[in-house]
Amino acid sequence: MEFMLKLTLYVYCAAIVVYIVREVWRANAMRWVAFGVLSCGFILNTILVLTRWAEANHAPMSDKFESFVFFAWSIALVYLIFELVTIFIVKVHESRIGIIGALQCVLIVWMIYAALQSDSTIKELPPALQSNWLVTHVICYFLSYAALSMSFSAAIVYLIHRGIFSGKQKEAVVDETGSQKKKDYSFDKLAYITVSIGFPFLTIGLITGSIWAKGAWGTYWGWDPKETWSLISWLVYLAYMHLPLMLPKTNIKKSFRPILLSIILLIAFPIVLFTFMGMHTLPTSSDSNHIYAE
Amino acid sequence: MAKVTEPQQRKSKNDSKVWEILCSVKLAVIIIVAMAVACILGTVILQQKSPEEYVDRYGAGLAKFFSAIQLTDIFHSYWFSFLLILLCVNLACCTIKRWRNKVLMIGFLVTHISIILILIGCVIDLLTGVKGGVNVYEGKSVDYYLTRSDYQKVPLGFQVFCDDFIIERHPPKYKLITYVKDKDKQKAVSLKVGKRIGISGTNYAATVKELIDDAEVLHEPINVSDKPNNPALYIQLSVRDNVTAEGWLLAKDRNWYNDTQRDLKIDYVWADSDEAHERLANAATKSSTKPTLEIRIDGTNIVKNVLVEKGNKVSIEGTDYVIEIKEFALDYSKRLVPLSEQELNNPAVMVEISGPQGKDSRWSFSKYPDYQDKAHKTIYKDVKLLCTVPEDFSNAKNRVRIVQNRSGKQTITYIKDGKVISTIDWVLGQNYDIADSKLQIRIAKYFPSHGLKKTVVKSTGGHEGHNHGPGEHHANPAILIEMEGPRGKYAEWVFAHTPPHWYPDKNFAILYEQSGMEVKDYKSILRVVENGKTMVTKTIEVNDALKYKGFVFYQSSYDPEGERYTGLQVTKNPGLIVVYTGFILLCLGIVFIFYVKPFLRQKLNKGKKIKEYYSEEEMLAEHIE
Ligand code: HEM
Repeated sequence: MEFMLKLTLYVYCAAIVVYIVREVWRANAMRWVAFGVLSCGFILNTILVLTRWAEANHAPMSDKFESFVFFAWSIALVYLIFELVTIFIVKVHESRIGIIGALQCVLIVWMIYAALQSDSTIKELPPALQSNWLVTHVICYFLSYAALSMSFSAAIVYLIHRGIFSGKQKEAVVDETGSQKKKDYSFDKLAYITVSIGFPFLTIGLITGSIWAKGAWGTYWGWDPKETWSLISWLVYLAYMHLPLMLPKTNIKKSFRPILLSIILLIAFPIVLFTFMGMHTLPTSSDSNHIYAE
Repeated sequence: MAKVTEPQQRKSKNDSKVWEILCSVKLAVIIIVAMAVACILGTVILQQKSPEEYVDRYGAGLAKFFSAIQLTDIFHSYWFSFLLILLCVNLACCTIKRWRNKVLMIGFLVTHISIILILIGCVIDLLTGVKGGVNVYEGKSVDYYLTRSDYQKVPLGFQVFCDDFIIERHPPKYKLITYVKDKDKQKAVSLKVGKRIGISGTNYAATVKELIDDAEVLHEPINVSDKPNNPALYIQLSVRDNVTAEGWLLAKDRNWYNDTQRDLKIDYVWADSDEAHERLANAATKSSTKPTLEIRIDGTNIVKNVLVEKGNKVSIEGTDYVIEIKEFALDYSKRLVPLSEQELNNPAVMVEISGPQGKDSRWSFSKYPDYQDKAHKTIYKDVKLLCTVPEDFSNAKNRVRIVQNRSGKQTITYIKDGKVISTIDWVLGQNYDIADSKLQIRIAKYFPSHGLKKTVVKSTGGHEGHNHGPGEHHANPAILIEMEGPRGKYAEWVFAHTPPHWYPDKNFAILYEQSGMEVKDYKSILRVVENGKTMVTKTIEVNDALKYKGFVFYQSSYDPEGERYTGLQVTKNPGLIVVYTGFILLCLGIVFIFYVKPFLRQKLNKGKKIKEYYSEEEMLAEHIE
């Protein structure tokens, strides 16, 4: 297991490098090399998840180790699907999505590394976790987190981009290849699209979590820190989704609006990560039902 | 941007300023952000604690401030409720205002209405619902519950019996932990057979070579060398070819065997020289050790030893005591049968002490020297007795002495009533009659250097003697672990529940231990009785509750020590149906907005060519028609 995990880690590390190379040297072949390396990592990761599932006899997302590996898997999955969609369905050829790929791989590597550091022994599920709602709940959350992490990467890239080209990004993107091929994504739009992919899952995760809590503890909402923070993440993305409706009615400069939205995403994803793994640092965590690890 | 609002639409509503604000998305964003901030505060500041705790933690000033603006119980504060109401109003207003019977609007309408439904459902529960708990002892019943908020007793109107409470546990699991001392590094490693586990940062490694789920140790006698370092014989006694007893005798260790039924003792002695052999083979009595009694008088340093033989009498100098041995038993509980038929089990001696205050008799046990029979009155408390019986003590009349020496002489001597009857040479595997008894002796094996080979095998089961209740057999797993390090490889069997096993350099250890028996499930068998009639019986467990007359009983806790009561959460949620309807609508609505609507829009806009995946206009005006 540890060997497989390390191997996966190295393949993902390689993927970071390849995606960066792809950004610099934008040959069509390079895109497939990058895609291939990440796919290899993803396949290894899938094997990890499946063997763990078989060994542990429960869906492998109950403790820190399992959820890190599973989160890495979801990030890779969502990104790969997204890239396939851009290539084959949306057909944005010279897409710059590769840089997002590199950033996603960094996050994946972090997760796998965290898994390597954590206790990988198989633990039995406490009675409350033996519910099918849990599986739905967790899968929804991780898919959503994966999509939201992409919006985070996109927001970073957008802000850096704006910093460098200070508003003249249109020209920078179109340049000489623009005539034949379709335009690249603008990263603020990409961010919006990924949030709109992730947000429904976030909502369904919140709801299934609540239904599960009702079945196990008899209350669907108890203002437990973990519950509260998942509500906070949801609220922040909800605000983000409603802002494009509000901004035109304010006197915020049009060119500044995407920057504001990106900054919100920059705040939002760390909140998600905190909900996922920072709960034990809260002063109120000792009163919690849901914070198992550490 | 364009087409923000149609002026026509605007006029048709009688839009006062307040209405405008209540409909606005600006208010929505403000409420959402305010709620997020409130939630953050609600997890950063301790909630629902006693006033003293706040003073302790935040100081008097801050504590006062917190309680003044209800930061100590945010989620039940008036201002948070106000926020929720405002949210509902905002949602309702904007939904009404933007209501359009268009397909693309479905998602917007459904999500917004569903959130209102969820909140309404929660309010219904809050006003008419029940949230409480009660503990029920096994075999007892309750007809009330306690409210969660202030522990008021509220009658249920029926009785709930807990017929049984069960905690199911997973079978024990075992884990392997490695420890490197100089790095103070401890790590749980996987228990896979054949996998070499390197300890990163060191040159130690461990490999589990074999794993037996339920193992036991077999000690198999083997011969280590041809030199007579630890001579041993395997002896068989038989009557008419039926073996009645057999076993190993070790010259340097356990070298005798008592057959109490036949009043026989067998000794195995090793002679250093031929002369010694001669002497041993022909001597009637080997100066055999005898039981002794040590007499000490407290408060003095008088100590006296006497041989334990019936009738022996000593007077203790310096005192007025005379002590006489009255009786001796090798096994106190069988003291009435002849001594020669008793086995060495619980030896005891009865003495009579005569002194200035008359006679005092008592039993003294060699295993419990200070035992004083409470029923008897001891007069001479200062007389302390300690009876010592040599392990090989025997009173047998018949004796067999097997003697061997280095040069290969080997004889059997038969002695009866202290007289040598015969001495013969013996060879392996041959039966010899023991003089006039019906018994035959055969020396089946001779190991000049007897040793034990420890083998670990799968337990055949059926062995008792561990600390566990009847019926449950706890397996005793063992692993053959190979430890690698600077001094090479060492493989050894390690049993669970044993102390850490150290590598020879005392810097690397492994521990193989049980990682606890985790709880698999809590179950309570509940029975609802109303007007003397049993209405429902159900075994509830976590994630599977009992429902009766709107009440739902959840398995929520248990008596952590005695496991004698079950903790039930009692709820009544009249708003549940509303909340769940809201949940379902919210899921459907949101999926519609983000996964269905974009495609629908594309279809509806078929006439127009879509140049880009998402135009900037569409981006910003995403929801605006
Ligand atoms: C999962 C939850 C929510 C979703 C998916 C959602 C979705 C939407 C959508 C799609 C629109 C645009 C409707 C259109 O096409 O015209 C909208 C508008 C609006 N939403 Fe929400 N919403 C949600 C929750 C909320 C909440 C909690 C509030 C209030 C606090 C809110 C307040 C508003 C307001 C005020 C508008 C009207 C904007 C306008 O009039 O221009 N929404 N929402």
